[in-house]
Amino acid sequence: MNRYGPFNWILLILSSLILLFLIAPLLGLFIQTSAGEFLETAKDKEVQDSIWLTIWVAFAATFFFAIAAIPFSWLLARKNFPLKGIVQGLIDLPVVLPHTAAGIALLGFISRDGPLGKIASFAGINLVNNPAGIALAMAFVSLPFLINSARDGFAAVPERLEKAALNLGASRTRVFFTVSLPLAWRSIITGFIMMFARGMSEFGAVVIIAYHPMIAPVLIYDRFTSFGLSSARPAAVLFIIVALAVFTVLRLLSERRRPVMVKKEYADS
Amino acid sequence: MLTLKNISKKLGEFHLTDISIEIPDGTYYVLLGRSGSGKTQLLELIAGLNKPDSGEIWLDGDNITADRIQGRGTGLVFQDYAIFPNMTVFGNIAYSLNANRTERTGMRRRVESVARELNILHLLDRDTHHLSGGELQRVALARTLITRPKLLLLDEPMASIDASLKDDIKRLLRNLNRKGLTIIHVTHDYREAVSLATKVGVIHNGKIIQEGKTDEVFRRPVNRFVARYSGIRNFYRVTFRKESGNWEAVCNDGLTFLMSEDEYPETGLMILRSDDIKILHEGPSNGEDNCFKGKVTEILPSEYGMEITVDTGEVFYVDVSADTFKEYPVYENSEVWISFSRKAGVALHGTS
Repeated sequence: MNRYGPFNWILLILSSLILLFLIAPLLGLFIQTSAGEFLETAKDKEVQDSIWLTIWVAFAATFFFAIAAIPFSWLLARKNFPLKGIVQGLIDLPVVLPHTAAGIALLGFISRDGPLGKIASFAGINLVNNPAGIALAMAFVSLPFLINSARDGFAAVPERLEKAALNLGASRTRVFFTVSLPLAWRSIITGFIMMFARGMSEFGAVVIIAYHPMIAPVLIYDRFTSFGLSSARPAAVLFIIVALAVFTVLRLLSERRRPVMVKKEYADS
Repeated sequence: MLTLKNISKKLGEFHLTDISIEIPDGTYYVLLGRSGSGKTQLLELIAGLNKPDSGEIWLDGDNITADRIQGRGTGLVFQDYAIFPNMTVFGNIAYSLNANRTERTGMRRRVESVARELNILHLLDRDTHHLSGGELQRVALARTLITRPKLLLLDEPMASIDASLKDDIKRLLRNLNRKGLTIIHVTHDYREAVSLATKVGVIHNGKIIQEGKTDEVFRRPVNRFVARYSGIRNFYRVTFRKESGNWEAVCNDGLTFLMSEDEYPETGLMILRSDDIKILHEGPSNGEDNCFKGKVTEILPSEYGMEITVDTGEVFYVDVSADTFKEYPVYENSEVWISFSRKAGVALHGTS
């Protein structure tokens, strides 16, 4: 034993165990899938369609809900209002709810008899077993990631910068788009990617709303229950690879935007 | 003309209380106070960042108390400048012009004009992350001046810049004021008030405790707080008496000063500015009102030159310029005479 001391060794061992726990199942998944099985699954139209559906619906859900969620996050960061604590708690509720329970709750809301379902029916849309319904289910469970991250980003923008902009004659809307939003951008992008990722991986709420059309997590489950592990495994590997590729691309794109530094003296104040 | 009428505002545990000020056009008004005295809060009320609980703010005949921040005609430069870090220097200065949808060539011309005036033309295309404190301040000033404010509000403008740049900034601010711009400058440093202000207000615990022309405030502080705040270090608890038609102030140890005014209370504090006291190298001569022999106990460099502490039984702090000190040096433990005019001693009626 040496300059690191016993405490550091214990830390190292515990951390390694956790990492092993996270990596080992994934590694096993990849090792147990043969190249032939993998290629065959990759060519499978049903698998391709489900992965594509998962990606675009998760992205659409994130994008459209972000339009309302980002200003809402600013409101939470900047304004005090009655019952704000309860509102904050409500936002985190989907994280602690069992997702099948969330799906059941949402189903009551968007089925033909539910308030939103009735409105959609007027437009000739049945939200159940529909990509729009899947998007709502994904958004329901993943919105907290965007809202919390964006709220923290806005809270880190010194309020004085916004006040300075107002003092220079800018409208509240202009201050939001030229000062608050650009300075909170990195947190918002992080929240966006987290919401998108969470939406893509959602199973419990979506399977209640729409078994068909099948998103990738439902398809993997369906293959597992119908044909067993060996049939589900290649689809899971393909989905993981595609998901990782998408996140890597999104991360790289967001990194390319030059970080906006908020000087320490501002951040502290 | 800016008029504050009975402004009060509660901010947590802190209160701004019944503040009334009149600031004529073209005034350089320095609001002097310690940190936490309420000076920045008052500035923010004038700028409209907060609204007063009661009272009114009038600017050029208009009641602007409830006006939006954008429409008040006040330009505020924050203590930390609040430069937008996501914009270049040009973007910062042109920000208000963008807001007003100024046409692009006109915008460039106006930005360059104000940047030239503030000597930052060469910085226009730079981003703001690597600018010095002095450069950031000029950008903040340019950004505000381009809006052509009726009233320029400066929050501790000297607090974050190097001592070497302070004179440049003072010169700049003085020039802006000479061109007719009304300025309210908030600071904790009385020396800024001495060198810039035409009018001074001293704020303490959310109340204006003295206001007036700079010279009046510093020559005739109303109480010990203002006196200390205006750099006075010589305080003497005295009894006033009239002897042979002349008023005298008698210290506890019997030291007696001749005074010049017609009326005094029975007891009080007498103050004396350090630069009103002279050190006599030749000993007392005729015509000196107050002249005492003492021992030099300490000599310290000060911004004026030297601060010499003389103990005559009472302690006197005497400011001597560097040149005078060079020509007529004094030494610790040596005996010297000090003298001051009877007009130099000021009686404080309040002793807080």
